Amino acid sequence: MKQQKNNRLWFWLFLAPAFLSFIIVVIIPFFMGIYYSLTDWTAVAGIKPNFVGFENYKEMFSDMAFRYSFIRTFLFTFLSVLSINFMALLFAFLVTKDIKGKNFFRAGFFIPNLIGGLVLGYIWQFIFKSVVPQLGGLLGIPALEELLLLADPTLALIGLIVAFTWQYAGYIMMIYVAALLNVPQELLEAAEIDGANVWQKFRSITFPMIAQAFTITSFLTLVNSFKQYDIIIALTKGGPSTMFNDEIVNSTEMLAVHIYNVAFKYNDMAQGQARAIIFFLILSVISVGQVYFNKKREVEM
Amino acid sequence: MKKFLSLLMIVTLLVASLAACSGGNNESGTTDGSAAGQEIVIYQNKVEIHDQLSAFAKLFEEETGIVVTVKTSGGDSPYAENLKAEFQSDRQPDIFVIEGMGGFNTWKEKLEPFSNEKWEELTSLEFIVDGKVYGFPVAVEAWGMAYNVDMLKQAGVDPSTLTSQEAYRAAFEKIDSMKDELGIDSVVAMAAGPDMRWVTGLHNFNGYLSAGLEYGDTTVLDKLNNGEADMDRLTQYADWVELLFEYADKAVLLTGNYNDQLGQFGTKKSAFLHQGNWTDPTFADMGVEFDMKFAPHASVAGEHNAIFIGAPSFYVMNNESKNLDAVKQFLNFMATQDAGHDYMVNKTNMVPAFTNVTLTPKAPLSANVAEWVSKENGAYTWLQNDMPDGFGMGTIAPIYESFAKGEIDKAAFIEQLKNKIEELK
Repeated sequence: MKQQKNNRLWFWLFLAPAFLSFIIVVIIPFFMGIYYSLTDWTAVAGIKPNFVGFENYKEMFSDMAFRYSFIRTFLFTFLSVLSINFMALLFAFLVTKDIKGKNFFRAGFFIPNLIGGLVLGYIWQFIFKSVVPQLGGLLGIPALEELLLLADPTLALIGLIVAFTWQYAGYIMMIYVAALLNVPQELLEAAEIDGANVWQKFRSITFPMIAQAFTITSFLTLVNSFKQYDIIIALTKGGPSTMFNDEIVNSTEMLAVHIYNVAFKYNDMAQGQARAIIFFLILSVISVGQVYFNKKREVEM
Repeated sequence: MKKFLSLLMIVTLLVASLAACSGGNNESGTTDGSAAGQEIVIYQNKVEIHDQLSAFAKLFEEETGIVVTVKTSGGDSPYAENLKAEFQSDRQPDIFVIEGMGGFNTWKEKLEPFSNEKWEELTSLEFIVDGKVYGFPVAVEAWGMAYNVDMLKQAGVDPSTLTSQEAYRAAFEKIDSMKDELGIDSVVAMAAGPDMRWVTGLHNFNGYLSAGLEYGDTTVLDKLNNGEADMDRLTQYADWVELLFEYADKAVLLTGNYNDQLGQFGTKKSAFLHQGNWTDPTFADMGVEFDMKFAPHASVAGEHNAIFIGAPSFYVMNNESKNLDAVKQFLNFMATQDAGHDYMVNKTNMVPAFTNVTLTPKAPLSANVAEWVSKENGAYTWLQNDMPDGFGMGTIAPIYESFAKGEIDKAAFIEQLKNKIEELK
């Protein structure tokens, strides 16, 4: 009995520093943020904020830029999740076959993830602005040569997805590799003997066994795509302008970028905080929902 | 032994985690009494002059015994946000920087006005609100239509005739017809893309606010802040914007960043550049050596013989500082002493805002600005920083981009600008 009590003491003692930091840096500012979103806070020292109730929230939903940003973020997230998971799964299959230099490929695919988003954005900006036109010149395709990828809203979004996929696919690939290596080879061999082709083997054996990996990867890609900031700022800075409901909006201004602009560019801190709270709520609902549904489909071995 | 080691480790961890919260600065600078031994902190936003300012602060310390600590943040680490964080720390800066009415409105409860300082009579660019002087001008900056002197000569265009929209149109057409001869991609290096929103929404739009008006005339700005647009001026202004966009290189215009735009002008691929004298250090780095000068913007109809001159930022005093005398001494020293002049002109290549400075900067655009400053009525006012926060770069800049892409025509451009101004009511 004393041993158990002792163990619990050690448990909490070890947890204390990290737990305290978490409360001070994450939990407390979160609740302060909820309070500030109901005031007209400007973050200047010494000025007391006044309580304004749900003003900020009402204003937010009538803001066309916020609505547009919302839609674009959902679109970007949806396409990114598909793109990253598809590429990652493809790469994972390639590197789990017995090919020469598979370790080299594993490292190679993973490295873009180590480059920070800002540098990545600049690299791809260079590729889209200089390399693509040059390529067009070499191949003699004038349309490609004159193409201003970052000036067209749709193409800029696609460019962003390409850059983001390049960054993230390697990391997700690692998770799939681990899951694929856990699929028992005997099952696959038995199925092959029974005459199953590649697609049937994948659908009936491999796919259900790596469902657990899908939970993790869809969660990671979903949450990360939703929160993207630095690669957007570096590549398109919010993006080419476009028309939406007769308003001119920024076509790649995702929610995180939008909230940052509202808070710091327009110096409307309380409004930015209110939008951030909504952002948090939506993201929580989506990610928890997603994990719940995926967990139900997992197959335990 | 094992138990002892693990106990020791836990204690170390706990103490280490608590040590981080110990704060407690010793340099609170609460000395009163003689100025010597006082310490002031200046928090400024020009990253490129941090070293020079620190060296100057050392000189000041040797002369007076007052220690000046220079803290800087800017560029990728945005000054405005870091400033708010600095105020939450327990050593607030004594001098910090604001850039115009926007900064003033945010910080007005913390500003201490100057009264009858020596430097006030030496400049006309100090920051005044309600008759009280709040800001010490850091430097003079200006923008206009920068041009390549040799190239215009080669094209047979006389820069002194570039004073109206008609004259510019004729000159642009002439230079455009000689594009191959001159080896340029487009007449003007103009940028309107997402990276360059400050060029269109702030600088170019300032033409609507103050071109052709007397220095210090804020009627158009006041109307804007009340949600009223001057339609005549706006229509004339749209003609100027259209002219610039027509003769710009599409790639630089729509997707170019700062280096692309300056690069086009620096590599002699354009005759004009829509930028200011802050580009001098970048051109020096690029190894650009040709002579360049400013011509006026013809933002609205009529004759123009001035460029947009102003102070981009001001040193202001923290009214809760306990070292205000030391601060005033430091600023007077910078404005009146030779060491200060040397620092401002020779070391940092800024154009000083004070009339008692006899040195002139060496870089071509800054030297030209000094000429315009000394010209009678050679200045239009900088009013772009007195618009509401985010209006220039966030609200109206995307409209320029759509216009540049051809998504909206000139009438729609005017309409959109008018609507955005009226939303400010």
